[in-house]
Amino acid sequence: MPRIGIFVCQCGNNIAATVDTKKVAEEMARLPGVVFACDYKFMCSSPGQDMLKQAIKDNRLDKVIVSACSPHMHEKTFRKASEAAGLNPYQCEITNIREQCSWVHHDKTKAAGTAKSIDLTRMTIERLKKNKPLKKINIPIKKKALVIGGGIAGIQAALDIAEGGREVILVEREPSIGGNMARLSETFPTMDCSQCILTPKMVEVELNEKITLYTYSEIEKVDGYIGNFIVQIRRKAKYVDEERCTGCGECIEKCPFKVESQFEMKLAKRKVIYTPFPQSVPNVPVIDAPNCPKIQKDKCGACAVVCGPKCIDFKMEDRIITEDVGAIIVATGYELMPNERFGEYGYGRIKDVISGMQFERLASSSGPTGGEIRRPSDGKTPASVVFIQCAGSRDEKKGVSYCSKVCCMYTAKHTMLYHHKVHEGQSYVFYMDIRAGGKRYEEFVRRAIEHDNAMYLRGRVSRVYEKDGKVIVQGADTLSGNQVEIEADMVVLATAIVSRTGADTVAQKLGIGYDKYKFYNEYHPKLKPVETVTAGIFLSGACMGPMDIPDSVAQGSAAAAKALSLFSSDEMMREPITAVVNKPTCNACWDCVTACPYSAIERDTVKNRDGVVVRWLAKVNDGVCQGCGVCVAACRSKAIDLKGYTDEQVYAAINAF
Amino acid sequence: MTAHGKQTEYQTGGFEPKIMAYVCNWCTYAGADLAGTSRMEYRPNVRIIKLPCTGRIDPLFIIKAFENGADGVLVSGCHPGDCHYTTGNYHARRRWIGFKNLMEFTGIDMRRLHFSWVSASEAIKWVDLINKVTDEIKQLGPFMEYKGLKGK
Amino acid sequence: MKIPYYPGCTLNTVAKGFETSAKEAALSIGFELAEMPAWNCCGATFPLTPDNLIALSAPAKVLSSARKTGESLTTLCSVCYNVLKRTNSVMKNDREKRAVINGFIETDYDGSLNVTHFLEILRDNIGFDKVKAAVKQPLTGLKAAAYYGCMLLRPFEDMGIDDAEDPVVMENLLAALGAEAIKSPNRIECCGAHLAMTNEDIVVKLSGTIMTSAVRNGAELIVTTCPLCQYNLEKSQSRVASDTPGYAGIPIVYFTQMLGLALGQDVDTLGFDKNIWDARPLLRKKGIIK
Repeated sequence: MPRIGIFVCQCGNNIAATVDTKKVAEEMARLPGVVFACDYKFMCSSPGQDMLKQAIKDNRLDKVIVSACSPHMHEKTFRKASEAAGLNPYQCEITNIREQCSWVHHDKTKAAGTAKSIDLTRMTIERLKKNKPLKKINIPIKKKALVIGGGIAGIQAALDIAEGGREVILVEREPSIGGNMARLSETFPTMDCSQCILTPKMVEVELNEKITLYTYSEIEKVDGYIGNFIVQIRRKAKYVDEERCTGCGECIEKCPFKVESQFEMKLAKRKVIYTPFPQSVPNVPVIDAPNCPKIQKDKCGACAVVCGPKCIDFKMEDRIITEDVGAIIVATGYELMPNERFGEYGYGRIKDVISGMQFERLASSSGPTGGEIRRPSDGKTPASVVFIQCAGSRDEKKGVSYCSKVCCMYTAKHTMLYHHKVHEGQSYVFYMDIRAGGKRYEEFVRRAIEHDNAMYLRGRVSRVYEKDGKVIVQGADTLSGNQVEIEADMVVLATAIVSRTGADTVAQKLGIGYDKYKFYNEYHPKLKPVETVTAGIFLSGACMGPMDIPDSVAQGSAAAAKALSLFSSDEMMREPITAVVNKPTCNACWDCVTACPYSAIERDTVKNRDGVVVRWLAKVNDGVCQGCGVCVAACRSKAIDLKGYTDEQVYAAINAF
Repeated sequence: MTAHGKQTEYQTGGFEPKIMAYVCNWCTYAGADLAGTSRMEYRPNVRIIKLPCTGRIDPLFIIKAFENGADGVLVSGCHPGDCHYTTGNYHARRRWIGFKNLMEFTGIDMRRLHFSWVSASEAIKWVDLINKVTDEIKQLGPFMEYKGLKGK
Repeated sequence: MKIPYYPGCTLNTVAKGFETSAKEAALSIGFELAEMPAWNCCGATFPLTPDNLIALSAPAKVLSSARKTGESLTTLCSVCYNVLKRTNSVMKNDREKRAVINGFIETDYDGSLNVTHFLEILRDNIGFDKVKAAVKQPLTGLKAAAYYGCMLLRPFEDMGIDDAEDPVVMENLLAALGAEAIKSPNRIECCGAHLAMTNEDIVVKLSGTIMTSAVRNGAELIVTTCPLCQYNLEKSQSRVASDTPGYAGIPIVYFTQMLGLALGQDVDTLGFDKNIWDARPLLRKKGIIK
């Protein structure tokens, strides 16, 4: 027989006004198993807690109930006090007779409140009788982080973690870190040059001893759980030995073949052995294998001939390396929606219709025109430029339903850059709404309109076509109610931001959620903005949705702080409320595996002495399980149960109803 | 008044239904707490059993409640999309759809069973829900079909 | 090869040249447009007004009876194509409407018919390269502007014959026939459609923009797929000409007439005489016909 103690709190008059606490205690004392029952003015006060501890000792109690306020208030307090008196903390239960009883039933005769308190406490007693001692789960933490994506968000996260004294692995798909930000000319609203503020950070990454940089690499496989991830990384063959390469650039100079440069948004060509841009980090070229005649047909090989340190190896192959990390930060960024989708704007057909990112390259002093605004068709300086906003954004029919957030600002920036570089030029902006929410953003747009002569027209463009070397833009100006036709020299589309190609495959490898646009889901949109449902995996930057540079940097730092706080102790303590499989009755139907929102249930095997698999059964990974219990209700053979909320406990409470 | 019998009765002069509520820890339990903190008032007929998530609710819990003398059962959790465990409430909802037919088969009037979403901030909704459910079940009268199933 | 074919009312009356040229052209490439038996009017645009279930029954009846003898149905008229294809998608995807319509016309049609346009047959089943190989009288030197109008392309989710904003199918066909395809920016704008009955001024304005834009871009001839467009454009010619200095009019022909011509059909069988604005002097000038 258990030895149960009942403590009914009066909470001053908060409970006692509508509940006869003394009567509750008396009634409870009559139940089998209850060896001690009392009521007290303030159970949570120090004397109250001392009384609890003393009663446990004096009466050799092995289970206690405090009928008081909501467990969300003081469950921890009383479990701690019970533990101090030598009980397992999970042998202490709370009955909520304040928030859900005395405060909501104002019957001054105390009849209703008392009756309900008695029922609730009785149900808790029966439940408590089935409680088993539980132990907090300790999870060892590997104090090393993996950052996926070397754009500004990933760079910031990696630097912050390194600064916090922990090791970081930074994986980047491209040959250089820098991401989309490296492409930008100037940045709003301060107009500082993007590369000038980014490249020092890139160099810092390269020099920081705590950071291991794997460029031209991709995530192959992720196993494990918080504190204990095992990650396989594919290091794609660069055909250049990174250790020996001095970055002299002779090979690039000598390579006789050119292809379109992705970094320059196809506005320029690059060599087949290349670094994406001059300030690349690391400054090691890679060979674009599909376009290299030496690798494809064994012709040429000029680069290897001129290479001083002899670091070019045409036989190099991809390598898979394995790293153990405790936390993962995903910062895979964004790309632009293919503009060809919008036939009415003529992108791809009309050379002088370009994307906003292409305009960035035209305006960038390191870009293909050296920062002069010259149109792609004939290199002429455009006398007028039409900017079309929301090319794909806020257009559920043909594009995406969301707002791409940065376009209003960068279009305003483009009109300013254009005006600064082409003083006589006239810019027109077709917009739906101007969304300039952000510090100094609205002022920035006003500046474009008032000082830099941008003509803003509220309306959509219906058609863009070529006529006599001009690009004719037909559209509506809804504020004047007129159809307008503008003969422009160039058209710039503010193309919608979309998730990276393959974002879904990366998410599946990591076990994190994504929305219908394949942007990653944060755990909670307000209160857990950088966490994911998978413990130990954090998000930052535009992989979660359109985001500007300040927000991406802030999130990079936020995710780093989350990783660092995880690394602040050697082990992580977790509430032991996790599911557990009863091995003999599991029939391996895997209903629990499909039901689990956290992929916390694995398919385990039982082998005989010869190593032959004789049985399959489900196995819960304590590190990953969050204790929701969905698997328990899903299990047909009742072979899985939730510690702290076992079927036995719940049915005991129901039976005492 | 006795602690040993089934649900403790008190004098009101009429039939007072006994209602069991299964609620999730994160939304509805917190919403019910908020109703208390805000000193709202509702009918005292409901007894709450807290579970981590509505997804934890086994259909048998509901039948067992009726077997133990409940006149009505209420299930409430986070709104779809707001689940603390991301998708637990979807599992509950899906299970509920299949379970409905079974309930009718077992002789339970569906009007005795309520399913609702109450968030942590919806104290008023909780209060209205309890009052509405209590009054409806009061109208239906005691649930007699399972009386005598359990030897007492 | 026989391809089940739905002519529609207009092609049996005012646009006779459209049909005869198509039928002949089909034969010379090696297939036959086999007219389906006992068809009725597609209902023109009336079935496409929202919540007008009863009006969907006419096209559904056509589809249902075509399905009884074949798996596909081809049309020439843009409007018929639009109505049939969209009704078909309702029958396929909207369970409730399907039940009501089937109940009304006493059939059990499930939307499994494949509704195609003659252009799709040429492009996808035959191939423009084969068409090109069959050309006997190339339309060399003829600057022809394709005019699509609305019904062939829109709504783009339902029609899907080509990119709704930048279609190429007719240009590619014209190029295969040896003509120089002119792309006019207004080639997918509306001609004014049924406003011809209530507000002709709008039709003249819209059709006028289409024709003058084609001429400005160097076209000598406009090619269309739609009898209504053809009618509206031709009807507006004289008023546009009197309103627009320097505009002298432009022949509006069906794509099948140009196809037939290139495939070596006798010019007198192509129905050029039925068009208000005779294209033959131009073709004679270009040396394509005698």
